Amino acid sequence: MKSKYIVSLLAFMIAVFWNPVIAQEVQSMDEFQKLKQEVELLKNESDSYKPGLSRFLLRGYAHSGLQVTDDEFSFVGGSFNPLFIYKQSDRILFESELELELVGGEVELGVEYANMSYLFSKNFTIRAGKILVPFGIFVPSLHPAWVNKFPTAPLGAGHDGILPSNDIGLELRGGSYLGNLKVNYSFYAVNGSQLNDGEDEPEEAGILHHAIFPDNNKGKTVGGRIGFFPFSNSSLELGVSGMYGKVGAKDSDLEDVVAVHYAFDLSYVKTLTPLSSVLDLKAQYAGVNVDDAKFPDHENPDDFVTFDNTSTTWFAQLALRPALVENEFVRNLEFAGRYSALTTPEGSEWEVDDSQIDIGINYWLDWRTLFKVSYRISNSSAGEHDEEPGEPGHSEAVAGNAFFIHWAIGF
Amino acid sequence: MKKIPIIISIFTFIAVTVIISSCSSTNSLADAKSGAQLWGENCLRCHNAPSPDTFSDTEWDVAVMHMRIRANLTENEAVKISGFLKTAN
Ligand code: HEC
Repeated sequence: MKSKYIVSLLAFMIAVFWNPVIAQEVQSMDEFQKLKQEVELLKNESDSYKPGLSRFLLRGYAHSGLQVTDDEFSFVGGSFNPLFIYKQSDRILFESELELELVGGEVELGVEYANMSYLFSKNFTIRAGKILVPFGIFVPSLHPAWVNKFPTAPLGAGHDGILPSNDIGLELRGGSYLGNLKVNYSFYAVNGSQLNDGEDEPEEAGILHHAIFPDNNKGKTVGGRIGFFPFSNSSLELGVSGMYGKVGAKDSDLEDVVAVHYAFDLSYVKTLTPLSSVLDLKAQYAGVNVDDAKFPDHENPDDFVTFDNTSTTWFAQLALRPALVENEFVRNLEFAGRYSALTTPEGSEWEVDDSQIDIGINYWLDWRTLFKVSYRISNSSAGEHDEEPGEPGHSEAVAGNAFFIHWAIGF
Repeated sequence: MKKIPIIISIFTFIAVTVIISSCSSTNSLADAKSGAQLWGENCLRCHNAPSPDTFSDTEWDVAVMHMRIRANLTENEAVKISGFLKTAN
């Protein structure tokens, strides 16, 4: 009897352990455990790459090219502008752009901007440091070489122009909706411009110099820009800018001289389906009004000179890109035209009444890399005093008619 | 020069209006728009519209924050545009 039990127990055990289904299950349990371990390992590894709150982008742009004028046929170095963007948290961002530019064979290094932003509400950001002054549209929105449709800045608006480009200060900016009207705004206090008193450089008496530190007086320059979007699709933006501040040096005769800058700008970007094209229209009108002041007369030391220190400058540019056509080559082309003008005070040593027409064809390799071919017709009637000839190789300062082939890349 | 106080008061007035209204208005045009639409309307105003495949999600976080400040976008617009770019890249 006993042996019968033993035999059936053995038979049962054999049946159980030799059962292929159960054996497979045991095996797949093993595999499952192994898989689980591997997933755990991978998760740990991928967690170690998970970005923290603090993030960083190193971007920027570069450009250079060829320029041909009456007396120059030259490859020009252009510039390389590295841009550092640090996102410290969801509320804090630091941005800084340097400019390395080849001017007449030497490298000039500049800090375009370096500032910290604190996004303290849905509609407001506070910024401090060296900023692009939110005055008009050219400098804050259009000046990078891959954004600008032309190899050069319009008259009056570039670094060497009569308008502010960057300065050190404090700014409050943001965007909001007034009912259905979208608006954006920026208000700031900066060191402001400094008036050249003509003591050392008589030919520059009355000129405003921008972005020089430290400030020459205790008064801060205040200003702002407000932009409106009259259409609900944001295609049209109209902007008004103003800036007010003392520009004379403290404890000098010019201490109370005040400068007022104002500007009106327009941007209209619209896809024109019938033309299979994107139309891009930009315009800016700006004026500078400096209180009348007396400057030394170097020809007659007992006397002084004075003039109505008012300058105006404006540009309008139109670009058309057949971005919606089938043919890839045509799609990447862009046709652009620009008119710009600059008038500086009559009777000053730096009197000019200039205008320029630029016409160009651009070829886009991607959304921020392009070749620009453009021709400029200059119309200069530099008062009685001839304009200083530009630095060779510095395209902003090229005088007269000129032909340019440039490339620009944003990265 | 007498115009200056007027210019300053206009700016102050508009500033105050904007501050007050921005605190109260939550219903805006942007609420009704998708991230793709906001991208199509806003990101080509100054330069060509950036292609979503330019950056990874984490890079877009930084670039959109940068552009939120540069282009004065509202938080809502920036969040929606960022969401679109991250799904389309
Ligand atoms: C008000 C004009 C303006 C608008 C609107 C605008 N951009 Fe820009 N964008 C710029 C300028 C100017 C630069 C170049 C920054 C520099 O070099 O200082 C830039 C640069 C960039 C870059 C390069 C990396 C960087 O952060 O500088 C990316 C990406 C970009 N923009 C994406 C966008 C997106 C996405 C939108 C839509 C939300 C947008 N932009 C809307 C003006 C604008």
